Amino acid sequence: MRPDFRLLILLVVAALLAGCATKPVQPWERGRLAKWDMRWDPDPMQAAADDHAHFSKEGTSGAIGAAGGGCGCN
Amino acid sequence: MQLIRTVLFGLALAVTASAAEPGTQAPGFSAKTFEGKQISLADYRGKIVFVDFWASWCSPCRESLPLYDKLAADFGGDDFIVIAVNLDETAADAKKFMAEHPVKYTVVQDPDGDIPKVFGVSGMPSSYLIDRDGTIRQRHVGFSKKDVDMLRAEVTKLLGKPAGAS
Repeated sequence: MRPDFRLLILLVVAALLAGCATKPVQPWERGRLAKWDMRWDPDPMQAAADDHAHFSKEGTSGAIGAAGGGCGCN
Repeated sequence: MQLIRTVLFGLALAVTASAAEPGTQAPGFSAKTFEGKQISLADYRGKIVFVDFWASWCSPCRESLPLYDKLAADFGGDDFIVIAVNLDETAADAKKFMAEHPVKYTVVQDPDGDIPKVFGVSGMPSSYLIDRDGTIRQRHVGFSKKDVDMLRAEVTKLLGKPAGAS
């Protein structure tokens, strides 16, 4: 292998590795993460209702953890 | 090889040296209060200093502030000093919280998080109890109401000790 080609591979590998480097979020930097808008479900009531409708309608396909079927009215 | 070993050793040293452990000398810092007054930890040498790291978005911190205020008031505020380091990135958030829950002790602002970096703060809230000689006596991460009683006992003990008698 030619030396300049080896250097190129080395540079590419270094760049790829650098892409994996992260700066961990420090405990005091979590202000934005603590915001209500950053939750998976900004509205827990709405999320529970959506889940209920989902497993009622899609009972046979599963994946929410409850089997069933129907309108999701109860 | 030698270079790698040196770098690794340097890194290990940097990591171990950065955390402020009980029994070690508290790292010095200076910061501005919300009123714009510059204060430094060294100003309080000879007193028992309680340094508390908090932010308005951290709910246990919010709970702790009024209790620390009461503790400071109970000890008279002359020999026992509370310095709260606020770590909100936006000063307005902290000011809003302090307007709702005013405290009498010193609150300094550190939006860039330089002071917790030096102390090696590992969680929020974190607090450090520093004796008259500037030695860290207690480090505490997290907060529950019973922590205040433990702190009160420790402060009472330290207040009875003159400087230099460890």
